[in-house]
Amino acid sequence: MTSITPEATNDSARTMEVALKIWRFDSSTGERELKQYEVEAPEWACLLDVLDLIKDKVDGTLAYRKSCRMMICGSCGMRMDGAAVLACKERMKPIVDAGHVPVISAMGNLPIVKDLVVDMSPFWGKIRSVKPWLQPGYEEPPEKEWRYSQEQMNPIHKEALCIMCGCCVSECNSMESDPDFLGPAALAKGFRFVGDPRDKADVDRLNEYNQEHGIWDCTRCYFCNERCPKGVDPRDAIAKLGAESVSQGIDHDMGAKHAKWFVTSAKTTGWLRETELVPKTQGVVSALKETRFALGLARRGKVPIPFPPHVAEDVKEARALYNLLKEQGREGAAGIVQGEKALGRIEFVEEEGVRELAPEIDPNAEPPHAEG
Amino acid sequence: MLVIGAGCAGMRAAIEAHDLGADVALLSKIHPVRSHSGAAEGGINAALGNASDDDPEQHAFDTVKGSDYLGDQDAIQVLCDEAPDDVYQLERWGAVFSRTEDGRIAQRPFGAAGAPRTAYAADITGHVLVHVLYEQVMKRDLPVYEEFFAWQLVLNDGRCQGVIAWDLLNGGLKAIGAKTVILATGGAGRLYVGTTNAYACTGDGMAMALRVGVALEDMEMMQFHPTTLAPTGVLITEGCRGEGAYLLNSENDRFLKRYAPNAMELASRDVISRAEQTEIDEGRGVDGNVLLDLRHLGAERILERLHGTRELSMTFAGVDPIYDPIPVRPGAHYHMGGVDTDVWGLTSMEGMYAAGECACVSVHGANRLGGNALMETITFGKRAGAHAAEWALSNTTVEVPPALERDAERELKELLDRTEGERPWSIRNELAETMHVNFGVFRREDQMKRQGEIVEDLRERYERVVVEDKGEIFNNDLTQALELGFLLDLADSMVISGLARKESRGAHARPYDYPERDDDEYLKHTIVALDEDGRPRLDWRPVTMTKWEPKERTY
Repeated sequence: MTSITPEATNDSARTMEVALKIWRFDSSTGERELKQYEVEAPEWACLLDVLDLIKDKVDGTLAYRKSCRMMICGSCGMRMDGAAVLACKERMKPIVDAGHVPVISAMGNLPIVKDLVVDMSPFWGKIRSVKPWLQPGYEEPPEKEWRYSQEQMNPIHKEALCIMCGCCVSECNSMESDPDFLGPAALAKGFRFVGDPRDKADVDRLNEYNQEHGIWDCTRCYFCNERCPKGVDPRDAIAKLGAESVSQGIDHDMGAKHAKWFVTSAKTTGWLRETELVPKTQGVVSALKETRFALGLARRGKVPIPFPPHVAEDVKEARALYNLLKEQGREGAAGIVQGEKALGRIEFVEEEGVRELAPEIDPNAEPPHAEG
Repeated sequence: MLVIGAGCAGMRAAIEAHDLGADVALLSKIHPVRSHSGAAEGGINAALGNASDDDPEQHAFDTVKGSDYLGDQDAIQVLCDEAPDDVYQLERWGAVFSRTEDGRIAQRPFGAAGAPRTAYAADITGHVLVHVLYEQVMKRDLPVYEEFFAWQLVLNDGRCQGVIAWDLLNGGLKAIGAKTVILATGGAGRLYVGTTNAYACTGDGMAMALRVGVALEDMEMMQFHPTTLAPTGVLITEGCRGEGAYLLNSENDRFLKRYAPNAMELASRDVISRAEQTEIDEGRGVDGNVLLDLRHLGAERILERLHGTRELSMTFAGVDPIYDPIPVRPGAHYHMGGVDTDVWGLTSMEGMYAAGECACVSVHGANRLGGNALMETITFGKRAGAHAAEWALSNTTVEVPPALERDAERELKELLDRTEGERPWSIRNELAETMHVNFGVFRREDQMKRQGEIVEDLRERYERVVVEDKGEIFNNDLTQALELGFLLDLADSMVISGLARKESRGAHARPYDYPERDDDEYLKHTIVALDEDGRPRLDWRPVTMTKWEPKERTY
């Protein structure tokens, strides 16, 4: 019992050679340069550790943001081989073992300040525009807490995990073509309030998010879900906003009409009546302009003849499902949340398999409680 | 008025000040939601009584006892009395707390607490609170100087009147005048190589205050958290043990039965960290760790309530706690010491306040209870905000003397113009490694003395430190060098305080020469302030006692 853990400093014993290519950027001159760096790093190193080693030992002018190094502060969003990551989450060992030299660059869809540092003000501007604070309405607040069950709070579980790192925005294809698109982070934040039973401004919020550059401008590419390091799944949040909008009757956007026709069509005939999709979505006048195109499609057998409508054999099942959702009150976001939970459960078992638990101590023992 | 630091304490202070009518801005070297308050996992303590009978009196006693009787009892009473309303307020602002069966805020057992008192949001409580506070900051449209690095406090006419800060995004020093300044800059865990703290936790506020003559209190009291991941010290929440996890040694033995037979895994942090370190030092560790076993909690409970813990442990240790125990060990976590303040956050200098981890009120004494830190940020952030606002509203003048600005400019130019010398990283690494060895869980006279010499030597080397980046835009090579200066000043005051306290109390454990607590001599706070020559001078102040007499502390 002499001094404390020598291990505290000795873990770095095993090292590896790591090489990175980094897109450097100097905003004062506008110069851009891809530079390669090589450093010796401990085997446990993540991308952020390697950047630290480069900054310390090779080039002190390299700029990037960092703070918590445990995936909660959201500072170190950047791109590795063209896809957004949190630098503190990416382990380097497998990459080194594969002999790969990754390219590191600043996040997309945001102006670069220097090297890997982007200007986040457009990001925060969009967050602010969704009025991201609880609006409890006119009800007298309780003396203590608002009383809501865990089940009532669960719909916003995933959105509340968001750390605002910007990885989703970096990869957003809609924002690339429309810089004014509210984007996945802001809309996920929006659903965090729409889905919160304590918030009473749903209708105002949904009207707002249904405007141009809002929810229906999402192209559903799912890149945001793919790149989110925290499992927020912003695209799902946008879908929930869509479902809530339609169930509240906010359906003036073509996107909403489009989605509604899927439901109507499935409910009545058990399958999608594509021929009617265009007029139902764009309106009759606009659809008439597409008549020639539609006829062309029909001639080549690309769309079925609309009359008489084909009715699926098991249409009753589709109707039963529709009625069940309605009965359970899961027409809006709640239905998607329920689906997510079920998928999550399946995914856990599929990914992890059912491994044998081998606790070597009594699993039934009561956890101890402190005695003051 | 200005709040420096925008974590839980800073944002709560600014919100309170604004709501009382003050014109308040926040200033922070990182964006508010990046603050390390967000990494708090387990929860926030308030005697809500939602999970079992509880009252503020019981909370206060647990805190006094947990502090090893070094906490000021009047301050502890304030904290515990105001805690419930302050937590309800957070919930009404929208904090996404976990819920009980009947829809109230859920509470879980935590170390050394007589009742399940820790209100929580799964295992991301700090994250949820930082975001709800930032929502309220946005709602009020409070100005935030984002990515401004506070470097020197402005002293004029015997009071604090603002700060001189480096603008990271655009470059250049900016002087910001304010009638009152609240420091809410957090801890200094970066003094240690194995720490739960963020890179940003470099004790800036404490060091800035020390440099302008304000006293620091109980600086030797650095808490080591019992469950951190090798190698870098990523935090695994006490909530695991609150949910019923076991700590095992290499012999598969719940070793705490020999150290804290009643409370077991829910003893206080100092007790468990010492127990773990003893097991490891005596050869019953597993590669320098002990094992935190969650398997008997079952997949469902782990996925629902400890989801973040699973994510951390899979990413950083390659271990899925559903199937395997997590290797953990003690790591530097929380500074009980800090800027000496009264129960309103006021320091010894007019116009200067401190709140949160950078302050020492003192409610944590020699050992903080898990869940009390978030509570302190909220309650004392609110109180500092209120008092500072009141003062600012009733006093008028603010002036940043141009001479101070010129001096700061000159000092910075000198640093940036230097081209020959040592870069900061080797000094920084040596400091963190030696602090871990010489000023860690257990402390020895000779090692602390040696650490004093090491720090002295590192400070000399720091005088000749060179910054490689000479640019204006996002020059964090510069700010990291300035942070190292802060850390070195704090290390100095910690060693001096540690050597002076010749007893074992809470986090300050000296098993080799002074293994016992000595209430006759040391029921008092260490106070460090700089003398005329700029050297730290040690002083003492008695603990404020109200109704709890010191007793033997067992769990």
